[in-house]
Amino acid sequence: MTPSESTLLEMRGVRKTFGPVIALDNVTLNVKRGEIHGLLGGNGAGKTTLMNVLFGLYKADAGEIAVDGRVAQVRSPREAIGLGIGMVHQQFLQVNSFSAAENIVLGTPLRNRPTLDLTTPKQKIRALSEKFGLSLDPDATLESQPMGVRQRVEILKALYRDAKLLILDEPTTMLTPQQVDSLFNSLRAMVKSGLSVIFITHKLREVLTLCERITVLRNGKSVITLAREEATEDTFIKAMVGEEMNIGRSLLFAKSSYETEIAQVGSKELLKVDGLSVEAASQENQVISDWSFTLREGEILGVAGVAGNGQHELAESLMGIRPCKGKVVFDGAEMTTLVTRDLLARGIAYVPENRWDDGLLPKATVAQNLILGSHRRPPYSNGLMLNLGAILKRSQELIDEFKIKTESPQSLAANLSGGNVQRMMLARAFSQNPKLMIVHNPTQGLDIPSTEFVYNKLLERKRAGMGTLLISENLDELFLMCNRVAAIYRGRIVGVLERGQFDAYRVGRMMSGLE
Amino acid sequence: MKQTFISIGNTLIPYLVAITASFLAAGLFIGMMGFDVLKAYETILLSSFRSPGAFAQTLVKFVPLLLQALAFTIPLAAGKFNIGGEGQLIVGAIGAAGVGIVFANLPIYLLLPLVIIAGVVFGALWAAFPAWLLYRFGINEILTTVLLNFVSFSLIDYIATEIWRDPAAGHPTTVPIGAGGELPLLMERTNLHAGFIIAVLIAVLVYIYTNHTSAGYELIATGANARASRAYGINVRSLFLLSLILGGGVAGLSGAIEVAGVHHRLIEGLQSNFLLLGLIIGLIAKGNHFGVPFVAFFIAVLEIGASSMQRTMSIPGEMVFIVEALILLFILLSDLVRKK
Repeated sequence: MTPSESTLLEMRGVRKTFGPVIALDNVTLNVKRGEIHGLLGGNGAGKTTLMNVLFGLYKADAGEIAVDGRVAQVRSPREAIGLGIGMVHQQFLQVNSFSAAENIVLGTPLRNRPTLDLTTPKQKIRALSEKFGLSLDPDATLESQPMGVRQRVEILKALYRDAKLLILDEPTTMLTPQQVDSLFNSLRAMVKSGLSVIFITHKLREVLTLCERITVLRNGKSVITLAREEATEDTFIKAMVGEEMNIGRSLLFAKSSYETEIAQVGSKELLKVDGLSVEAASQENQVISDWSFTLREGEILGVAGVAGNGQHELAESLMGIRPCKGKVVFDGAEMTTLVTRDLLARGIAYVPENRWDDGLLPKATVAQNLILGSHRRPPYSNGLMLNLGAILKRSQELIDEFKIKTESPQSLAANLSGGNVQRMMLARAFSQNPKLMIVHNPTQGLDIPSTEFVYNKLLERKRAGMGTLLISENLDELFLMCNRVAAIYRGRIVGVLERGQFDAYRVGRMMSGLE
Repeated sequence: MKQTFISIGNTLIPYLVAITASFLAAGLFIGMMGFDVLKAYETILLSSFRSPGAFAQTLVKFVPLLLQALAFTIPLAAGKFNIGGEGQLIVGAIGAAGVGIVFANLPIYLLLPLVIIAGVVFGALWAAFPAWLLYRFGINEILTTVLLNFVSFSLIDYIATEIWRDPAAGHPTTVPIGAGGELPLLMERTNLHAGFIIAVLIAVLVYIYTNHTSAGYELIATGANARASRAYGINVRSLFLLSLILGGGVAGLSGAIEVAGVHHRLIEGLQSNFLLLGLIIGLIAKGNHFGVPFVAFFIAVLEIGASSMQRTMSIPGEMVFIVEALILLFILLSDLVRKK
C-alpha cells in the first residue's frame, strides 16, 4: 500500500443526540492520506455536528475515532490539534486588532514570551504561505483585511500547528468566485504535499470540481461514500435530498423548464429609488452612496455582494428602520418620510438577514412571532383587541404550510432551531401577501426541499405581479431567480446585469471592485 | 384544550416543588431553634383563614402587594426594570393626602375620586422623570428609579413634619384627610376597604391590556426583542416611556389606597416593605399577568401568617421572608434545570 492510499482518519458508528433529537446516527467516515474529501449534505444533515465531534467540541454518545490506525480519544480541541487535526470554522475566531502573525501564534508555545519576538514564527508563516499560495502580509492588522485573507489566516493557524488533516466548514460562503478558485488551488497544493482535507459544503458543484471522494450525509446518517468519477451528479443529488423530492420537476435542478416563466416581467414600475444615501453608523459599516434603481411588477431584482458592502443598510433604509436621504416611490406614492409601521401597512414585507437579532422574539410564542408587524390588522386584530382564535388558527396554518417544527403555536419561539426560525420569518413575510418583499439571504439554513419551496413561493408572487428585492450572497440563487442582478461593492452599485448576461466571474469581479 | 391542560400542569409543578422545598428548609431552621415545626407551618399557612377578621386583614395586605407587583411587571413586560415602586407609592400617597387635607370639606363623591386620581397622577409623574431620562438620554432606569426612592423618603419626612404635621402624634404624621376622602369599608367589624375592588379591577385591566390588545402585544414584543420589534414597526422607545409611567401610576395608586383606605393620613413608613415583596411576587410569577394576583395573595397569606407566628410562638417573622426568598430562588433554579 502506498502512503497516499493509506487511511489517515476513520470515524466508525458515531452517534450523537441532543435530547430527543438524533443529530448523528451510526455515521462512518473514512479519509485517506493526501486527498480532498467532500462532506456533502443539506443544512441540518449533521455535517458540522460530525466535525465538532472530530474536533473534540462535542462528545459522541457512541462510536470511535481512529487517527493513523490508532483509536484516539478526542475530548477537547487541544487534543484534536495534538493529533494533527485543524479546523476552519464558519465564523472566524480572530482578534481584529492583532496582526495576522499574532493571530496565528496565539495560543502556541513561544520561546521568547517576554519580548514577543516573532521573527522565527514569521519565517515559518511566510514559508507556509508561499508553499501553498496563501499570500498575506503577516504584519497587517486583521480589521482592514478582506474575508479571503482572514480565511487564509485561519488556514495558516492550522498549518502552523502542523495539522495533517484540515477541516473546512462551508469555506466558500463569504468568497467571490475568484477567491474560491484561489482557495481551491491552495487546497490542491496542500494535498499534493501529503496533507488531507475535509471540505464541508452544501454546494454540489464545488465538491464535484474539487474533491476526490465524497461522503453524503442526510438526516444524520452517512448515506454513501463515492469516488468522484464513480458517480454522476444525479446520484449525489438523490443521496442528498432523498426520494421525497421530484427532481425532474424541481425548480432547483430542472431550471430550464422554468426559464420563460422566470424571465417574464410586468411593465409597471413598483418601486423607484432615486439617489438613496445612508450615512455610516460606525466605521465598520459601509455607507450607501447615491443608489438609483427601479423594480417593476412581477420582477425579482437581485443584489449581489460580499457581506457588509451595504446590503443591510439598503434593506433597513427601505424599511424605514434606518435614516436615509434620497427619494423612494412605491406603488405611485412617495415613501421617503414614512415610518416602518406605515410601510408594512402599505404592503412591504421584510425578511431580515440577522434572524436572531432582527427577526425573532425568543421570549414570545411562535404565534406571537408570526403576527409581528401585522398585529394591528385583520384577521389578527380589529385595531384594538387581538383576536386570539384567529391568531392561533392562522398560525397553525402557517406552521403546517411552511413546515415549522414546533409542538404548537403556543410553544416558546426560543426553542426553534435556526432553520425553523428562518421558516417562521418567511411564513410571516409571505402571509402578509405584500406587493413588495425585501428578502435578505432568504434560504440561509434551509434544507434543499425547503429552499425549493421558497423559490416556488417567490415564483407564485411573480405570477401575481408582485415584486421582490432579493439580497443574497449566494450567486447561484440570484442567477436562478432574478431578472436583473445589481452587483455592489463598498456601498456603490458597480453594475446591473440583465438575465442572459449572468456570469459568475464577471459578477465576482464587480463584487471585488475590479470592474 | 388538552395541550393547555398539560402546559398548566408543567408550569405548576415547579412551583409546588419550590414551595415544598422552601418550607422544608425553613422548617429545618425553626426546628434547630427549638420550636415546634408543624405548629409553625400551621400558623403560617392557616392564620389567614381562622376568622373573617384575619381573612379581611389578608386582603388588606394583598392590595398594596398586588399593585406594587404590577408596578414592577408592567414595565418588565417591555423589558424595563422599575425598582422605584416605593418612591412612586410615597409620592402618590403625598398627592392623595395633600388633596384629602386641602379639600377636606368636599363630599365623598367628589373628594374620593380626587384623592385616588391625585395618587395615580403623582405616582406617574414620579416615574415620568426617570422614564424621560431614559427616553431622551438613554440613562439606565434601574439606577434612576432606585435613587428617586431616597428622594421620596426626604420628601415625605418634610411634609409630615413641616407642612401638615399632626402636633399630637409622636411619629412624623400629617393631620387626617377629610372624611369624604376615605374609602368605604366592605365588611362590618373588619378593616377591609373598597381599595380591594380597585386593585382587582386594575389587575384584570392589566391582564386584558397585555394579553388581549394589539397595544399590549407591542409591549410584550418589545420586551421579547426590542431590536426586532423596531424592525417590524413598533416604536419601542415610546413604549419604554409609556410602560414606566403606567407602572408609576399603579404604584401611586397603591399609595393613595394606603392613605384613603388604611391610615386616613400620611404616615412616614407607610411604604412598609411592599416594594421588595412586589419585586418577589413579580419575579415568582415570571411577569405573567394572569399569575401575579394569585402569587400576591399567597404572599399576603404568608405575611399574615408570619406576624401571627411571631405573636403566638415568638418565632421571628423574618423566617417567612426567608421562605419567600427561597421560593423565588428555587423557581429560578428550576428554569436553569429545565434548560440543561
